[in-house]
Amino acid sequence: MAGQDLKALADRAATEIAAAADEAALEASRVRYLGRKEGALSEATKKLASLPPPERPAYGAAVNDAKIRIEKALEAREAALRDAALARELGQEREDLSLPPRRVRLGRLHPISQTMREVSRIFATLGFETVEGPEIEWDYYNFEALNIPPGHPAREKWQTLWISNPLGDDPSRPILGRTHTSPMQVRIMEERRPPIRVVIPGRCYRYEATDAIRESIFFQYEGLAIDEKLTMADLKGTLYAFARQVFGSDRKIRFRVDYFPFTEPSAEIAFDCFACEGKDPNCHVCGGDGWIEAAGCGMVHPDVLRRVGYDPTRYQGFAFGGGIERIAMLKTGAPDIRLFYQNDIRYLEQF
Amino acid sequence: MLIKVPVSWLREYVEIPISIDELALKLHMSSTEVKGVERPWWGEKVRVGRIAKLAKHPNADKLLLATVDYGEGRTKTVVTGATNLVEGAIVPYADEGAEIIDGHTGERTILRGKPMRGIQSEGMVLSSKELGLGEDHEGIRILDRDLPVGAVLREVLGETILALEVQPNRPDCLGVVGIGREVSALLGTRLMEPALDRLPERAPKGLDVRIDDEVACPRFAAALLTGVHIGPSPTWMQERLIAAGMRPIDNVVDITNYVMLELGQPLHAYDHRQLRDGVLVARAARRGETIRTLDGIDRVLPERTLVIADGQRALGIAGILGGEDSEIRADTTTVALECASFEPRRIGRTTADLNLHGSSGSAAARRFAWELSPEAVPLALARACRLLREHAGAQLEGVVDRYPQPRPRVNVRMHFSDMPRVLGIEVAPEETLDILRRLQFTVAADGDTLIATPPAVRTDIAIAEDIVEEVGRIAGYDRLPTRVPDGPLPLAERHPFEDFRERARDALVGFGLQEIVAYSLIDPAWLGMLKADDGDCIAPEPLRVINPTTVAQSAARSTLRASLLDTARRNLRQRTSLAIFEIAPVYIPRRGDLPDERTTIAILLAGDASPVKEGETWLVGNRKWDVRDIHGIVQGLADLLRVATRGEEAPAPGMHPGRSLALTDGGITHLIWGQLDPRVAGMWELPDETFIAEIDLVSWHRAAQTVKIAPPPRYPAARRDLAVVVSETTRYADVEAAIRSAAGRELESLGLLDVYRGAQIGEGRKSFAVRLVLRSPTTTLADADVDRVVRRIAGRLQHEVSATIR
Repeated sequence: MAGQDLKALADRAATEIAAAADEAALEASRVRYLGRKEGALSEATKKLASLPPPERPAYGAAVNDAKIRIEKALEAREAALRDAALARELGQEREDLSLPPRRVRLGRLHPISQTMREVSRIFATLGFETVEGPEIEWDYYNFEALNIPPGHPAREKWQTLWISNPLGDDPSRPILGRTHTSPMQVRIMEERRPPIRVVIPGRCYRYEATDAIRESIFFQYEGLAIDEKLTMADLKGTLYAFARQVFGSDRKIRFRVDYFPFTEPSAEIAFDCFACEGKDPNCHVCGGDGWIEAAGCGMVHPDVLRRVGYDPTRYQGFAFGGGIERIAMLKTGAPDIRLFYQNDIRYLEQF
Repeated sequence: MLIKVPVSWLREYVEIPISIDELALKLHMSSTEVKGVERPWWGEKVRVGRIAKLAKHPNADKLLLATVDYGEGRTKTVVTGATNLVEGAIVPYADEGAEIIDGHTGERTILRGKPMRGIQSEGMVLSSKELGLGEDHEGIRILDRDLPVGAVLREVLGETILALEVQPNRPDCLGVVGIGREVSALLGTRLMEPALDRLPERAPKGLDVRIDDEVACPRFAAALLTGVHIGPSPTWMQERLIAAGMRPIDNVVDITNYVMLELGQPLHAYDHRQLRDGVLVARAARRGETIRTLDGIDRVLPERTLVIADGQRALGIAGILGGEDSEIRADTTTVALECASFEPRRIGRTTADLNLHGSSGSAAARRFAWELSPEAVPLALARACRLLREHAGAQLEGVVDRYPQPRPRVNVRMHFSDMPRVLGIEVAPEETLDILRRLQFTVAADGDTLIATPPAVRTDIAIAEDIVEEVGRIAGYDRLPTRVPDGPLPLAERHPFEDFRERARDALVGFGLQEIVAYSLIDPAWLGMLKADDGDCIAPEPLRVINPTTVAQSAARSTLRASLLDTARRNLRQRTSLAIFEIAPVYIPRRGDLPDERTTIAILLAGDASPVKEGETWLVGNRKWDVRDIHGIVQGLADLLRVATRGEEAPAPGMHPGRSLALTDGGITHLIWGQLDPRVAGMWELPDETFIAEIDLVSWHRAAQTVKIAPPPRYPAARRDLAVVVSETTRYADVEAAIRSAAGRELESLGLLDVYRGAQIGEGRKSFAVRLVLRSPTTTLADADVDRVVRRIAGRLQHEVSATIR
């Protein structure tokens, strides 16, 4: 057989192998071409010895080429048949995927925790550091240091839960459930020097009847920024920036006059009512005026600055405080503040 | 303080050229919080009617048949028992279906036509009471003859009322005139002064005034009025008092209240006959002094109480409550009228002492607890004298006014540049001056310097920032730009504990637990429900609320356990599976200091561990939570937080004695986990198998380790399984300790494959099948190396826990 014949043999074999229908046909082709006894290439190899020596290298190379081609064709066809068989098999392993899964138990943060984190996160983008402080507080920090001495009529705004210590009370230093997070303004300023930018989330207490939007135990966030040139416009801008991040830019916001003994001037920021959008005169959420108070705020009173040893001719700044639950309710439309503390899982798992 | 201002009254003092809704918005934004605008509630079916014909009822002597014309020729026949009707009278008429007030019950009701003695009454002519305008139910309300017949009544009669929340720094706004001053400044319209009688300089004969305590009573004036005729006050005055929320009594008392509602300054009228020695004295109560106050209660006065007395005895509690002895009676003809100024904190303390706080206190006391200006005293007295002359026939005999230390006028010296310094915007000096003048400030400007003097009735103005607020609010806060603060950012501190706590919170949520936030004030009785026996409570004696709103919130919790069990109890009424946690401080009392607020974790598992979704058992079957679950959560949390949970084991009070564990370190129990004592569970209606864990997070934070990061191992591990047969009483922990100490550093991990008990190993014994994973950091371990380690382990196990290896 000449070199050309060997090439033709390999071509024929490749065609035949590629057409092999199954493993058996493939095996038959392998025996026919590569079989040790009868195989066509075995025959050709045997012939090598009978050739004159100068022709042997070329012939040997041709035999080898043919053999490699046939082996590759066998391998390829074998793989193709195996894949086809596997695909057939997988095609028969059919599951009803509409059946319920093996369930994962889902844990969730309480909406109060979610909201406190969001408040801290947003104020962090404005450069405010989150700080915490005591819930059970001295009268001094809660009131006196904030320009609200005993007997001051403004104390009526912060109806107080007074606390008794089982290890003994000191009548000259009454303690209370802090009625707001504002005592932390004083504590922070006592510890630090300006510039200051902090936000303080935390639990507060009031002697107050509860209803759909008021609790006697609740959470607030307090903000404080002190520097040399901060103004009311910075305060307004900070709260607007916060409100936009929490509620998006389509919530309406307004800024009106208010009174707190520890800020001057004082203001209140309100959002338009999420429940009625100002359309229901009997709305149980906004009371019908279409606005929901979100935070009290103002420029820190010079007397408060003086009391912590700051020079009010050099330093000035602003403070604000609002309700955590109020934000959660505004954001989610949660209907009743008391539901947050009943901890009915059917309610909590919606947040 | 909530005050109600009838708009018609306000209009007497200031022009209001805009709608009331617009006015309300301006007040709300720039001056005084508007709680609501109240309008008459009568519907369209209450109209102006005219009595066209009046006839006797054929079947009843005391009833009349009135034919009422209510416009456009429409008439209805009404049966009435009223005796004050005449033909042609203009009256309020309610058609069937109208809402009115039931004259007997005082409740609102819908009018239904009904037969009266055989004749159908098709509507009703109304008394003042039925309109809610007063108490009068004797006769029909006769209206002004000029009112158009047929008009909807609320459009021609009745009052629009502003409900305003006045802030405690603005006592000057407690009266209609004060609100008028604000409106005048807001709208730029003129403020009218109240009509006054000039007060004579002369002191009256038979009335003197003395102040014994000038601090408690800085100013005390009184007028003597003779020839007074006691009777009802005019209808318009009664209606305004009712609209403002007060009850009419008689002309003298009504006038004192009317002036208070106008000017914010309370007055008090005495029957001069009862004044012994012809003198009014402001003095401290004497020891044991008693008085019967107007509410009919005999009170023993605390010693520091300021009283108004005559020459012999206390007549009333100054500024708070008058006495019964000297009150105005029907036959009073001579009146001593007191108008004074009291130190507000003293008033506040006394109302607290007498338990006359807040809304239960008198209208006067609530006003005196604020810093009213002493300058309002002569004004209010002059106004009252005028009204008493006009409406009670009173003749003013003289006035005595004691004001030993006149309050100095406040002059605030500031700069126009304080406006941009505080507000962040420029306000032109002309505008600044204009706003202040509209607020009745006296102003003087010199270059950048401004001297502002507030009107005498303002007591809230002291510093430049106060003036800035006045200008800013009237100019409108909507003019402030929104700016984000610039300047250097402060360097923030680290908060490692808070970070640690939040990692714990995230970890527990990741484990599939629902977070709860419970009230931090609890029912102290709950603390007694945490142990089966009568021994000490599981937690320290808590801080108590002195004035709780409810006993259910009267103790600051010293453990989270009660809240957790209560939450579980309520949830398990409607679900079969519960896995919850709370992270919150407990309040541990400290002597002479605020409590230690220790952040604590509490975890509870009860009911089904699976299925997660009720009824869905097809893949997971039914499994209840068990003690290994709570252990797993605790261990997983410790591993994530890198806390080595070390310490002395101790009994855990309130827990199942055989299935719980407490770890203490340095006297502090930092971890409790296991099964709740089933007897405690029973008290909370919880299943016997309720599992809880409590972690003192402060201790854990101290015990947390910083991690050293290493690359993953380079050499392969060798695995070897052993069956360790020990006595039933041997604890796994001892086996594990023996294996670890014998294996040394090459033991990478030790896992428990199984615990086996059975005939093959004999009675009273058990077999722990464990897997050792051994690895060397420097080489691939050969079989011979592993064999050597296993032999060492076997020897140690035999020696220490009498184990045999199978």
